[in-house]
Amino acid sequence: MTTQIDPFTVEVIRNALTAVAEEMSLVIMRSARSPLLREAGDLSSALTDASGGLIAQGRDIPAHLGIMGATVQAFLGRVPAGQLQPGDVWFLNLPEVGGNHLPDVKAIRPVFSGTTLQAFAVCLAHWADIGGANPGSYVPDARDAWQEGLRIPPLRVFTRHGVDREKLDVILSNVRGAEEREGDILAQMAATRAADGRLQELFARFGVATLQAAIEDIHNQAEAEMRNAIRELPDGEYSGEDFLDNDGITDRKIAVRVKITIREDTAVFDFRDSDDSATGPLNATPYTAAASVFYAMKAIAGPDIQPSAGAARPVQIETRPGSILNPPVSSPVVGGNHETSQRVVDAIFKAMEAAVPERLSAGGSTTSGLLLFSGIDPRTGKWTTLYEVHGGGEGARCDRDGYPTTRPHMSNVMNTPAEVIEKAYPIRVERQALRSGSGGRGKHAGGDGQERRYRILAPRMVMTSMVERCVVPPYGLQQGEPGAPFRISVERTDGSCMQIAGKTHIELFEGDCVIMQSSGGGGYGLP
Amino acid sequence: MKSTWSVGIDIGGTFTDIVAVDSATGETRMGKVLSRPDDPVAGITSACHSLGLELENVGDIMHGTTMATNAIVENRLQPTALVITEGFADTLEIGRQNRRELYRLSVTPRVAALVPPDRRVEARERIDAEGVTVTPLTDEEIKRLTAEVEKLGVESLAISLLHSYVNGEHESRLADSLRDSVPYIALSHELNPEPREYERTNSTAMNAALMPLVARYLARMKTVMESSTGLHLFHSAGGMASVEAIQTRPLALALSGPAAGVTAGAEVAGDIALDNVITFDMGGTTTDVSIIADGEVPISSNQRMAGYPVRQMMVAVETIGAGGGSIARRDGKAIRVGPDSAGASPGPACYGQGGTQPTVADANAILGYIDPDRDLGGSVRLDIERAERAFKPLADAFGKTIPETALGVRRVANANMARALRRVTIEHGADARTCTLLAFGGAGPMHAVSLAREFGIETVVVPRFSSAFSALGCITAEMRYAEQRPVHMPSASWDADGLGEIVDRMRYRLAEPLLGAKVGEGDLRTEVVGLVRYSGQSDTVSVMLRQPYQAETLNAEFRKLHDRLYGFSTDEPWELDTVRVTVKAPPAYELSSLGQAGTSQRLDKLTTRECWFEGHGKLETPFYDRSKLPLGVQIDGPMIIQDDWSTIVVEPGTEASVDGSGQIFIRVR
Repeated sequence: MTTQIDPFTVEVIRNALTAVAEEMSLVIMRSARSPLLREAGDLSSALTDASGGLIAQGRDIPAHLGIMGATVQAFLGRVPAGQLQPGDVWFLNLPEVGGNHLPDVKAIRPVFSGTTLQAFAVCLAHWADIGGANPGSYVPDARDAWQEGLRIPPLRVFTRHGVDREKLDVILSNVRGAEEREGDILAQMAATRAADGRLQELFARFGVATLQAAIEDIHNQAEAEMRNAIRELPDGEYSGEDFLDNDGITDRKIAVRVKITIREDTAVFDFRDSDDSATGPLNATPYTAAASVFYAMKAIAGPDIQPSAGAARPVQIETRPGSILNPPVSSPVVGGNHETSQRVVDAIFKAMEAAVPERLSAGGSTTSGLLLFSGIDPRTGKWTTLYEVHGGGEGARCDRDGYPTTRPHMSNVMNTPAEVIEKAYPIRVERQALRSGSGGRGKHAGGDGQERRYRILAPRMVMTSMVERCVVPPYGLQQGEPGAPFRISVERTDGSCMQIAGKTHIELFEGDCVIMQSSGGGGYGLP
Repeated sequence: MKSTWSVGIDIGGTFTDIVAVDSATGETRMGKVLSRPDDPVAGITSACHSLGLELENVGDIMHGTTMATNAIVENRLQPTALVITEGFADTLEIGRQNRRELYRLSVTPRVAALVPPDRRVEARERIDAEGVTVTPLTDEEIKRLTAEVEKLGVESLAISLLHSYVNGEHESRLADSLRDSVPYIALSHELNPEPREYERTNSTAMNAALMPLVARYLARMKTVMESSTGLHLFHSAGGMASVEAIQTRPLALALSGPAAGVTAGAEVAGDIALDNVITFDMGGTTTDVSIIADGEVPISSNQRMAGYPVRQMMVAVETIGAGGGSIARRDGKAIRVGPDSAGASPGPACYGQGGTQPTVADANAILGYIDPDRDLGGSVRLDIERAERAFKPLADAFGKTIPETALGVRRVANANMARALRRVTIEHGADARTCTLLAFGGAGPMHAVSLAREFGIETVVVPRFSSAFSALGCITAEMRYAEQRPVHMPSASWDADGLGEIVDRMRYRLAEPLLGAKVGEGDLRTEVVGLVRYSGQSDTVSVMLRQPYQAETLNAEFRKLHDRLYGFSTDEPWELDTVRVTVKAPPAYELSSLGQAGTSQRLDKLTTRECWFEGHGKLETPFYDRSKLPLGVQIDGPMIIQDDWSTIVVEPGTEASVDGSGQIFIRVR
């Protein structure tokens, strides 16, 4: 039954499929409405086969890309394939349905040839607001999932006849900035529609049988590439741990622990010794943990491995129900997506120091460094929310210093230019500079973090922080020194200045100045 | 007596191309000589000699150059100082804080800052987003900054102050005080009057760093040429500019060469009435592509070069890191082509200059497409045995014959390019199936037909002068100047009269340098384009603006285009973000006025050789000399058409024809 297919045709089809995924991201970036998508590019696109196995992805955000296949598989667990129709676009964001956190909303379009389901086009976009207690939907002291915003189970928002206005209105009634969100939803829909069109062209050109045979080959190639990459790592058992500063509620470090077993061409990542789930929003789903493992394997062993379901076959991941990486459904998770996922990578890197230190970077500023400013802009009378992430120093490597002010590992979202901030928000950026001396010393020094100063120009604003590495600094490798920890402080108009917690929610008044100093990277080797 | 000859010259990295026209007789000549990177002026002289012309008595020189491009790409920019608003000295280092490689941690996340820390000076001043002065720039501060900059002892200076795009007064005053001590100064509000401090500052610094290089080059050109010779430079936005204009804005040369090729493509498209064209210029290590819709040269002001953002209006050319030198390799069970390239040195194995790895060019040699008895640009001759030796290990690994493997590698190379092409067409909202592929440059015509097949394109055109196409673009381009200004006019508070005044002012300024002996006010054409978006969107849609600039007309046009580009449009408010005005004077030479091509009556083969084709195996294939093809002829593939510098591969099942002016059309389906 299998169609024989030559390697050249497979490579031609692999390029064509990757082009489809890349096209989706281009479409959404160009047509979306919120700055988070169009300026910062907080979105990702992928194609999966009919059973949810990842086939191809765009060049987007690793934290998103690692979960796309799981999202489709879990989606199919909820919605039997028989219910899917050509022209459908389903939206969902439930963390327990192959997800990560509520703001990352996935649009899934089943793609048919004739009446047979062939593939899924998935477009994930970080919505700047998904409801919940705070503007921007970051609630640093959330104690359950429902405080974090609107929970969308698989919901058919578009059919071949167009938008289902009633469902759309339910969504728009539960998020802030309905107009902007509607634009983003349309952009996600348009992206998946573009993918559908391209796939139809490919079905016509190659024939469905050839295309499916090529997809199977792509999976098999990726599996072979991953096995080769693992084989290059020395066999053995490697243990590593890293700590969250706290969970935003309880002032206690939380351990992420991994035991990695490399045996010939297989790898087992056992996280069962990690701490119990957190009270606050630092829990991460097992899908997020898997995304981190996949990222780390690519970064350490094989950057060119095709991101396909086949690459996951030689890798086994174990998490313990009830733990920080496999929390109960009721747990809040908003920060776990980009903070705890980085702890997973850091734990893996620390474990692998015993095996392949020359392939690793020392600890970087592995946090989103997220600050959210909200308030009414006195110039327009309108409510505005600035969602800003802050890169810090890159960790040093065996052959070079770390680079200053960079987004490490699981994220790669850009900053918002000071001029754009001042135009759109009642804030003045008084300084953006490198935080000199914040990189850890070493044979090669860690990169410096940055300092940004935000002066508040509105009578009143609120600020939410979701920042790690304030307590536990970025580590050095091979006896290099750690980088300086992240530090956020507020200078009030009365001249007082106080440091604030990494995960908090505070009131700001006109003339106050928020000083953000991001962490430096760790050094590599004895200074 | 002054000669009646005009020449278009494009100086590339390897070759200098020349097209010359005699205005008295219409006689047209084309040539190609090796470039002289050490002495570009000598390269121009020898190009003229190759056509029997002396530089001193050429009437007009229209000149495209990769000088600025190479200085940027090879990091040969001149040391530059930067004055920037207090607190922002590290902006070039911080950039947008993202990394270029997601998984490859060994690579540094970004390129090094254009201006190092010890040449960055902070100015105590502040203007806000509305243009209101928050902290004035005092005379004492100007004095202090002047002294600081003088101490650095540099020739070039960039001044980039926050929000100068709404109020450039501080930048101008500071520049006035520094003009005596620093010869080359670039101001950010003149160069790139748009928000985003990193991108604007970087563009300004790059411009400042190019200024001394370009000034010295132009000064040397002038000493060689007679004072009466007209020297014009081809700028990146697809037109000619005066030497004076280029001296203050050398960044406008950043894409000079590719822009000339695309502009020639637009001329050809207009001449033979093609609506949508993809230009395809494949070289040894890179391939340039762009989309020409309705005969308009595509413009973008948001591109990157060598990892740096360049905010300038430039022809939207996408450079793909794949070409004839791309290396094929086995990766487990899979085949990959590129991104590694054999480059110019050692080059493909078949050039016999030390290359041993299998490349795309070697595949073409193995498949029989290149006549081994022919010179390739003078000294190089083809060595097919070496190519086959390079391919043997790959063929063995896949259990295929060498020609089968070569065909496979060509398919994969074309698929790589098709993927990049897809990205370019999407970004321009073009439907590839309705496009014509216009192939030129060294290797473009060799791959165009297969690429068209891969991409679903029905027609390939290989234009006249295809192997010196950028030089042709130089000679047939319009004189044009363009400028864009942010206006931020929301649909809710539309002001047609205000917009009219802005456009008139811009038009007046742009027209001034064009008017002169040969060009009167009546010869000028003005084009006004609005960049429009829904409030809150980032990317804009380009909409043609026509007097009397009614909001209703614009509204309808914008929604139509938005729907075409993105598949939806809404009733929401929109805004005119930016207005772009272009003023054009007619070209000295129309394409159609250039001398006649091929006058042969008979179709004669040069030779017949065995060539391999996908799905057909080995076929007896006729070779033709392009210059001897009769006009109006139609021939079924397979065939190879060659001229002195390039080869057109016409596959079986396709049909080539030559139109009345010598353009070659190939119907793919």
